[in-house]
Amino acid sequence: MEVINHPIVFTLFGIIPVRDTVVYTWITMAGIVALVLILKLLKPNLLEYILEAIISILDDAMDVDDLHPYIPLLGSLLIFTFTANLISIFPQMKSPTADINTTIALALIVVFSVHIYGMMVKGVWPYLKDFASPIFLLPVELIGQFSRALSLAMRLFGNVLSGDLIVAIVFSIIPYLLPIALTAISMVSGILQAYVLTTLAALFISSAVEINIEDMKVKEKGKQRASIKEIYNKIRKEKTNGESKS
Amino acid sequence: MENLSPEVLIIIVTTIVCALAIVIGTMIPTWVEGQSAIKAIEGMARQPDAAPELRTAMIISLALLETASIYVLLVVLILLFANPLLTRFFGG
Repeated sequence: MEVINHPIVFTLFGIIPVRDTVVYTWITMAGIVALVLILKLLKPNLLEYILEAIISILDDAMDVDDLHPYIPLLGSLLIFTFTANLISIFPQMKSPTADINTTIALALIVVFSVHIYGMMVKGVWPYLKDFASPIFLLPVELIGQFSRALSLAMRLFGNVLSGDLIVAIVFSIIPYLLPIALTAISMVSGILQAYVLTTLAALFISSAVEINIEDMKVKEKGKQRASIKEIYNKIRKEKTNGESKS
Repeated sequence: MENLSPEVLIIIVTTIVCALAIVIGTMIPTWVEGQSAIKAIEGMARQPDAAPELRTAMIISLALLETASIYVLLVVLILLFANPLLTRFFGG
């Protein structure tokens, strides 16, 4: 079937085989760059509005103080998956995300960046200590990381592929009108999947970088208690001083 | 039925199993998704102030539940288009 097969189109430098997925990925990248340049020249306000919308999506999903370090990765993830899911509505184009290699690459980027951000924020040793805090749960955590990557990749791949596949099957049976509705459904599902992938990545990152709130609370409470004690001592000293003066 | 070759038998069994799998494997996740959507919409109707947060949580949990049926679809696609049994016993 044409949707599932990914033939090798040409070989780069005579040694590197290039599948059609890579070519479609290049076309997607070129489309994004061209669109951004055109918008920057003609409608800068629209570009700013789109960026603000992306940042507000990330702000809703993440629970961190400073959003700035995470915007480049998550925003480009959102823009790329959004465009790649939607590009199959053009004739003779296939979504790059309908190939499992692309989605596994994206999921590996997400899973490794979670740990890198966690190490950057908390420091390498404290992060690893937090990661394996009861040491006997370390294998479970590792399996969890692996299955997280697998489920991220499989979800995006399966959704996009099923949309394209259903459109292709219905098109081979009834080529009139009905594929339009299914294309609309697959577009909605593609937009939703881009949103879900970005939101899940944001959730993973914010759960990795969050400092344990209860520890902080205990520390702050200890500080407050100390300060209250100091104030109390001060008042008592003043009182005793006044009494002794009088 | 007696003079079927084993390859044809494997293909027939695979097709029937795929049909059953896709029916059951999409029916149950859809039912569960409906339950969670009902709860989320009830919550939104009760507390309209919390609607955006509920909507975000609902969409994420629906996508996570959807993963189950996507797995079923992937298994069915592998069985239909790249059947491991055929390649294992008959060399493709």
